[in-house]
Amino acid sequence: MTPRVFQRNRRWDRLARWLISVGGVGVIGCVAVMLLLIVWMALPLFGKPHATEVVPAFTAPAGTPILAVGLDDNAEVGFTLGGDGFFQFLELRTGAVTARVPASPRAGKPGVKLTGVSAGRHLEYALAWDDGSWSLVRIAFRSSFETGRRQILHQVEILAEMPAAVTMPAGGAGQMRAGEKGGAVLVWLDPSGATFQVRRSVVKTDLLGNEETAMATYEIPVPAGSVTAFTVDLAGSTLYAGTADARLLRWNLGDDRAELLEQVRAFEDGRRITALGLVFGDVSLAVGDDRGGVSTWMPVALYGEGSSRRMELIHTLAAHASPVVEFPFVQSGKQLLSRSAAGLVRLDHMTSERKLLTLQGSQSLDAINISNRGDHLLALDRNGLLHLWDLDAPHAEISWKVLFGKVWYENYDRPALVWQSSAANDDAEPKFSFVPLIFGSLKATFYALFFAVPLALMGAIYTSQFTTPEVRGVVKPAVEIMAAVPSVVIGFLAALWLAPRVETAITGVFLFALILPVAFLLTLALWMAIRNTRLAKRVGRGFEFLPLIPVLILAGAAALALGPAVEKLLFAGDFKLWLFHTAGLRYDQRNSLIIAFALGFAVVPVIFTMAEDALSNVPNNLKAASLALGASRWQTVWRVILPSASPGVFAAVIIGFGRAVGETMIVLMATGNTPILDASPFNGMRTLSANIAVEIPEAPAGGTLFRLLFLSAVLLFLLTSVLNTAAELIRHRLRKKYGQF
Amino acid sequence: MSDTPLILPIENPVLKVSDLHLYYGDSEALHGISMGFPARQVTALIGPSGCGKSTLLRCLNRMNDLIEGVRVTGSLQLDDIEINDPALDVIGLRRRVGMVFQKSNPFPKSVYENVVYGLRIAGVGDRAVLDEAVEKSLRSAGLWDEVKDRLAESALGLSGGQMQRLCIARAIAVNPGIILMDEPCSALDPRSTARVEDLIVELRENYTIIIVTHNMQQAARVSDLTAFLYEGHLVEYGPTKRLFTKPLSPKTEDYITGRFG
Repeated sequence: MTPRVFQRNRRWDRLARWLISVGGVGVIGCVAVMLLLIVWMALPLFGKPHATEVVPAFTAPAGTPILAVGLDDNAEVGFTLGGDGFFQFLELRTGAVTARVPASPRAGKPGVKLTGVSAGRHLEYALAWDDGSWSLVRIAFRSSFETGRRQILHQVEILAEMPAAVTMPAGGAGQMRAGEKGGAVLVWLDPSGATFQVRRSVVKTDLLGNEETAMATYEIPVPAGSVTAFTVDLAGSTLYAGTADARLLRWNLGDDRAELLEQVRAFEDGRRITALGLVFGDVSLAVGDDRGGVSTWMPVALYGEGSSRRMELIHTLAAHASPVVEFPFVQSGKQLLSRSAAGLVRLDHMTSERKLLTLQGSQSLDAINISNRGDHLLALDRNGLLHLWDLDAPHAEISWKVLFGKVWYENYDRPALVWQSSAANDDAEPKFSFVPLIFGSLKATFYALFFAVPLALMGAIYTSQFTTPEVRGVVKPAVEIMAAVPSVVIGFLAALWLAPRVETAITGVFLFALILPVAFLLTLALWMAIRNTRLAKRVGRGFEFLPLIPVLILAGAAALALGPAVEKLLFAGDFKLWLFHTAGLRYDQRNSLIIAFALGFAVVPVIFTMAEDALSNVPNNLKAASLALGASRWQTVWRVILPSASPGVFAAVIIGFGRAVGETMIVLMATGNTPILDASPFNGMRTLSANIAVEIPEAPAGGTLFRLLFLSAVLLFLLTSVLNTAAELIRHRLRKKYGQF
Repeated sequence: MSDTPLILPIENPVLKVSDLHLYYGDSEALHGISMGFPARQVTALIGPSGCGKSTLLRCLNRMNDLIEGVRVTGSLQLDDIEINDPALDVIGLRRRVGMVFQKSNPFPKSVYENVVYGLRIAGVGDRAVLDEAVEKSLRSAGLWDEVKDRLAESALGLSGGQMQRLCIARAIAVNPGIILMDEPCSALDPRSTARVEDLIVELRENYTIIIVTHNMQQAARVSDLTAFLYEGHLVEYGPTKRLFTKPLSPKTEDYITGRFG
């Protein structure tokens, strides 16, 4: 070689090495960047909530004592409600008062004052006048662009009026809820705490359109103890009360009488119940006590469907240092706002039991109101200063326990692992457990591999060790073409063609699994008997599968033909019904059997090709050595070829596993996508990957669901990479033990 | 001289080949070989590359079955059984006719498992029997002292010569009457070769050995009888000493004097 040629070769060598290095590092870099990007999208889920004061605290409008405060959705306009019955609207950024509006025509008359205010729904107030009458008013804000820039317009609406009654002297506590067409219900607690008065006004319209208001009043005696806190649901149909001796009572409020549904002893350690409130959705009852404890309760059918419901302690949240005095209404999700006697305000999330924010003013906070979307909070402290906070508690419903642990959701009779990210109504509790999805992924993979691994490995062994090179030359490319079938086609066929057929012929399918081995064994026995006849000799070595093909077809035909008869005989003519009655299992059309076939079909070529290569690469001289020692072909395969090829075969199975876990389209189309925790082969599942495909189009970018889907992608990534790494390590060890193939 | 037959007739051969023809597809590789192999002797098969000596060897334990398109006619008598009978139990045959290959091919198992492989597949599971067979076979193969402390280690960690002797031990563990050796030393260094050759001479006491070799010195050193094959024909067969000193056929003479091959 001349020096020039030598130099040129060296140059090429260096270039090639450089290119390969760049390519390899580039691939690793791309994967790393991808992972980083996914993690980056999921990371805000674990951000810390924080609150910032938007403007420095400013002095509230002077005048009568302030009983309530409130603000609009944009935190631009706020208001105070004074003891004189006037709302004063003010610009929150400047503190300037813009309007003073009477809460009712009654306000402003000489000597008329409010004796109490209780908040109901968002910006809805029940006003107790000193003459014993009650009003239910609501503040409505709307945006106007008439002047060219946005203006927040306000309006005070009177929803209902309740005239004074002798049975309800001024001074008792009351809560009022609006009914239909100006009707209302007022629940009033006697100052002694021993009886409730319920007044219900029902507005009826006759045929001529005349409205008539009917008034019903009844009394509810408290069976024992004195009531220290009570609340009424938004529909005005259920009354909850808590007593000094820690009893919780629940009544159903009828038109003319109340029915006591239950009373339970909430605490046995001498606590007093000091505050009650309903979490948005009116299912969970927040209970605050004199030791600062905050918990939520709900009626649960403990003994299964149909048994009577009893209040149960569901969530215990972090405690205040002083007694809880109030649970202001929150309309944003399952957050819980609580105020303590010391004037501290705390925001928690019920489902995740996370303590989100603690707020305090220059002095004890007396009146607070959170905006509709839960992002701003206006509070008045005892110094007469108004504080406006911007609250940032994103993804408060997420905690590790919610993602992986059992959570007792509203309307559930026991804690459960559930994925249900969205619902028709916005007061539903989203359920974000990854467990059913991980389970679904593993279930689909298990059934697919259960079908595919034996088939692919047996096929690989037969093709590489028993058949002729010609047959192998046909079979191998054919199986590899299977891998080229788009998974959407497999999924489509599985869901729309295979699933209904399997459903109708399910007995036949099981029968086939039973008949086929028997038929094969019989054929084998027959074969042993005739192996030395001329007919048998005509079947060449390596073509032994040929006589089995008609057996396969006949067994299949026999199974399908016998199916209905067997179904009639064993399952009273309907396997699905029988399954449901005897085993309690439901049969879904798109079930794990279908997935085993469809996903298995996708995985078979992967496992087959790799395993076949590994088996074929075992040197012939090992095979020869074994045969020369008097081993049969099967003994040779089992004792020499398979152990030698085991690293490769193992890798093939793991790669197949990875393919099955990550597969999306087939499971998306043929599983039914129900995120259930049930290993039964007769129902479907929802996998992590399909879940991302199903839900990402309806997940608002940046929202909790959106980020959770990215988190599940991280999980999927980790699942496959951990598995592959483990497989590689095991393969390495096998390789050390069994040599080089 | 003319009364010395070109092909020595063997009395009471343990293995008798008569009119053996072998075809690879359409081409004939062995043209009617007839010869006998005496018991407890070492018979060497020599000849230039492609003469058919390995093919002939593989006929003796039906290893040619593994090659596609091979057709064999003629008769191969082992004691009273016909090797070339299609209905023959090949597995039983191979237990009686062991084989050692050109390239040592231990299984990727421990030394112990390699030796007992033949017994295990025959269904022997008694630990004592296996232990005894291992020691006996390894001692016969002259390997016992070298490997007795590493029986549980992988056979792939042995040296090339040790591996080949392990293969011999593996072959004799099943106690065959006949051992076929297909150029057993061609991949070994001279020292290992010498050890294997010594071993062959020792094994002659108990076994009938048929060895294919390229190396004429080796044939001269280890064998009692030598057969010279050329282009699929058995040219000359006789006592080794005589064949190497006074070959009858001019072809044999040309070959052993190095004119071709």
